[in-house]
Amino acid sequence: MSNKPTEKPIPSPPKWLLAFLHWFCDPDLLEDVEGDLVELFEQRVTNTPRKARWLFAFDVVKLFRPGIIKTNEFFKTQNNNAMLFNHVKMAIRHALRYKGYTVLNLFGLIVGLTSSILILLWVNDEVEKDQFHVNAGRIYQVWRNMYQANGEVITTGSIPGPLGGALTNNYPEVDEVTYYSWELELLFRLDESVSYEKGRYVSPEFFSIFSFPFAAGDPASALNDPHSVVISEKLAKKYFGESWKTDALSKVIKIDESQEFTVSGVFEDVGSQSSMTFDFLLPAHEYIARNEWIRSWFNGGFSIYFTVKPGADLVAVQQRIEQEINNNTDNAADERLMVLKATDTYLHSNFKNAVPSGGRIQYVRILTIIAIFLLVISCINFMNLSTARASRRTKEIGVRKVLGAQRRTLGQQFLVESFMITIVAVLLSIGLVLLIVPYFNGLTDKQLYLDFTDSRFWMGISALIAVTGLLSGSYPALLLPSFKVTNSLKGAVRQSASSIYFRNGLVVFQFALSIILIIGSLVVARQMNFVLNKNLGLDKENMAYLYMPQDLTNRRDVYKTELLNIPEVKEVSFASGNPLSYGRSTGSSQWDGKDPNAEIEVNVLMVDLGFFSSMGMEIADGRDFSKDFASDTANYIINEVMADIMGFDEPVGENLSVWGMKGKVIGIVKNFHMQSLYEPVAPLIVRYSPPYTSVALIRLQNDIPKGIAGIEEVTTALSPGFPFQYEFLDASYAASYRTEMTLSTLVNIFAVVSIFISCLGLFGLSSFSADQRSREIGIRKVHGASVTGLVILLSKDYSRLMIVAFLLAAPVAWYYMQEWLNGFAFRTDLTLSAFMLAGFTAFVVGALTVSVKSYQAASVNPTRTLKDE
Amino acid sequence: MGKYSIGEFEEIVLLTVAVLYESAYGIAIKEDIETRLKRSVSVGAMRIALKRLEKKGFLTSEFGEATAVRGGKRKRYFKVTPFGKKALEEAMAARQQLWEAIPSVAFDFKFI
Repeated sequence: MSNKPTEKPIPSPPKWLLAFLHWFCDPDLLEDVEGDLVELFEQRVTNTPRKARWLFAFDVVKLFRPGIIKTNEFFKTQNNNAMLFNHVKMAIRHALRYKGYTVLNLFGLIVGLTSSILILLWVNDEVEKDQFHVNAGRIYQVWRNMYQANGEVITTGSIPGPLGGALTNNYPEVDEVTYYSWELELLFRLDESVSYEKGRYVSPEFFSIFSFPFAAGDPASALNDPHSVVISEKLAKKYFGESWKTDALSKVIKIDESQEFTVSGVFEDVGSQSSMTFDFLLPAHEYIARNEWIRSWFNGGFSIYFTVKPGADLVAVQQRIEQEINNNTDNAADERLMVLKATDTYLHSNFKNAVPSGGRIQYVRILTIIAIFLLVISCINFMNLSTARASRRTKEIGVRKVLGAQRRTLGQQFLVESFMITIVAVLLSIGLVLLIVPYFNGLTDKQLYLDFTDSRFWMGISALIAVTGLLSGSYPALLLPSFKVTNSLKGAVRQSASSIYFRNGLVVFQFALSIILIIGSLVVARQMNFVLNKNLGLDKENMAYLYMPQDLTNRRDVYKTELLNIPEVKEVSFASGNPLSYGRSTGSSQWDGKDPNAEIEVNVLMVDLGFFSSMGMEIADGRDFSKDFASDTANYIINEVMADIMGFDEPVGENLSVWGMKGKVIGIVKNFHMQSLYEPVAPLIVRYSPPYTSVALIRLQNDIPKGIAGIEEVTTALSPGFPFQYEFLDASYAASYRTEMTLSTLVNIFAVVSIFISCLGLFGLSSFSADQRSREIGIRKVHGASVTGLVILLSKDYSRLMIVAFLLAAPVAWYYMQEWLNGFAFRTDLTLSAFMLAGFTAFVVGALTVSVKSYQAASVNPTRTLKDE
Repeated sequence: MGKYSIGEFEEIVLLTVAVLYESAYGIAIKEDIETRLKRSVSVGAMRIALKRLEKKGFLTSEFGEATAVRGGKRKRYFKVTPFGKKALEEAMAARQQLWEAIPSVAFDFKFI
């Protein structure tokens, strides 16, 4: 009741709801009703904004009732609307009269729509990734392209540290710059609570570039102090209990048992909408101060992100930055920088020849296409059933026409029918999606949900209704009213050949899509099997590995001896990196006769004795490292790829140096895969230098759990206070293909769904035609036809359709699956068997569906079918 | 009842409009009913009742001044007409008459 204008803007209720109110509300009532609603909203919004919006929506919906809805123009005056009501009434009556047909139609649509909505939720989540940053439009990431001697380009996000300073100082277009490190796993200790946490180094500007809201502390200054740490709410709760909001700030946490950091902020847990993940953040300048190597133009370091000033010329930045490394390193190697939008990198993370070439975007595309397929397949069901059944309704159409119905009105009637069915199906599908979403989330490892307060959700649903309704209703609406009155009243409508062709064409199309999906799922599954069971050149079964804390690396030999005393431990060795990634690489390797200008990026692995035998790798030539040769600490073993690059006929015995350390090649190890199978095997140099090893690789035998328990005992005895953590090599390997496995499962499921929907349609069609031909079947039986003969007669036409569908689907599937497989450096071939199996499955399932009804029709006693009339 | 047909909820709304006198508009009426009678009232139900009462001639309404709150929408103030007052009196009289007609033993709830 206050009349004074308020200073600060009051939040306004959702615009689209107001628009909805304006649309339906009686204009006489509108002004004060709207005012009342807004007033209520304003009262509620200060305390509980979310609830206020919900209640507002609820109120608006409750107003949608007779008495409030405007009456004059919309419902009364126009004859069109009266007709519309009539159509709705007819549609309801018709749906109830032919229940079986309605259920079949609804069921097919619901299955198709539910699958499509689920997929679109997934796709939307992928596309929306990282878009929540307020600056999303002007955040860029720097990438480094390393041009190799063999013409390949290796692209990496690890950038020499000095570029950060160069961007800030020399580029007027650049607003703010931040480093973003690799993932660290550090030991956190606060009094008695100790555990490993994952996080990263970033610059203080990180929080003004990216939008990660704070729950406590000031984001602008949180990381200014080199001994500050910012932690997630999750960690805050873990270390400071429920009263973390007051307790966490300015407390000191000991990290890696060496340094102490003060908690200067708590950020809200990083949600699934972000592709960046971390539980804590440390100031990058602290790390840079301690590490000389990262201050050099010659080493790749952190990732670098920056914002450009609004309206600044990005192209200028791109042009100048390209040669920045080469200018500062005197062209030591050809390394060029490029700048890409940061929010795009989640979906486009693969590079080929210095340009983005796919990544998750491929899966987004594949699943979008599947969603469209499923929707189209279920719409076709609807079209086919309603046109096939048209002869049932010819009399109705005839009578309506005689009474003066125009074509247009009849068309409208069929459209209304299809829309009503669609709306019911969409509503039921939304319910079904709500039920299924938790399982779907478990499957895809996401947190999807339906946001009913989001206007875009409703827009999406409306679009889905419009598309489905039009797609399924337009053909019947065009075809059915075109029947001639006289024929339809006589009940003798012969459907034209073209409409039958069209219907058959649609069935072929449906099954072709299903067959493509089946072939796809078979090929993907085969490739997954291939990847997971490929001979990697090393034995990944029963291999546990763990990162050794300082206490253990200091006493490697004792640790090894103690481990080997456990009966379940077969072999133990140490290496410098996680077995799934080498961890180190260099362009500095030298050998006699190497082209001085050629840059070759080589991976380097440091190991101790027994590494090759415990990993199950094979020495192809030369010998393994041995403690009998004191000089072996200066020697190298290389893999076959590296041997090829060096180009000697007999590489064993040649000189080789890495990081300036000279030695000789003493052996060649057979190629083994430690990285993704998307990549070919990379050149590798292995050096015998135990002091640099920090990963323990333990081969177990017999009773694995007992072995792990034994390892835990030994480990905790030697390094008390460190939590015991280990992983299995085969599990980590499988986990790195999780996206592909998920895709594989999804494609499998949706392939089954698509064939199921197609069969529903086929079932409807075949039962209908069996019904129509019941008298023909009766006469044939009277003349002595056998049931088998009749089933074959009735199924024959459909079988032919299946074969045509297969012939159409096979080349399309072949082309696209070959494209997908080409992304893998190591892949299976497309085999004929996958195609045969897919065709066979579709054929058998289709034939079975048709013959069920055909058999029923054929086994009816002819007296029953022939006695009417 | 005769020509003054009025429902239970309508009667409550009409009485509340009378109670609030000059400040009887949508939300005020709604809140008054909610606090006084402890029953929740939806904007829709109330607005329909007001509309019906106005149509029956028990109420008149006019717009107030526009303000910055409420999205700049004017309030519609309601006032009971003499005819409305008559309807209320009629309703009360009808009840009164019924009450008086109740034989005294009817409410004599003794333990039997």
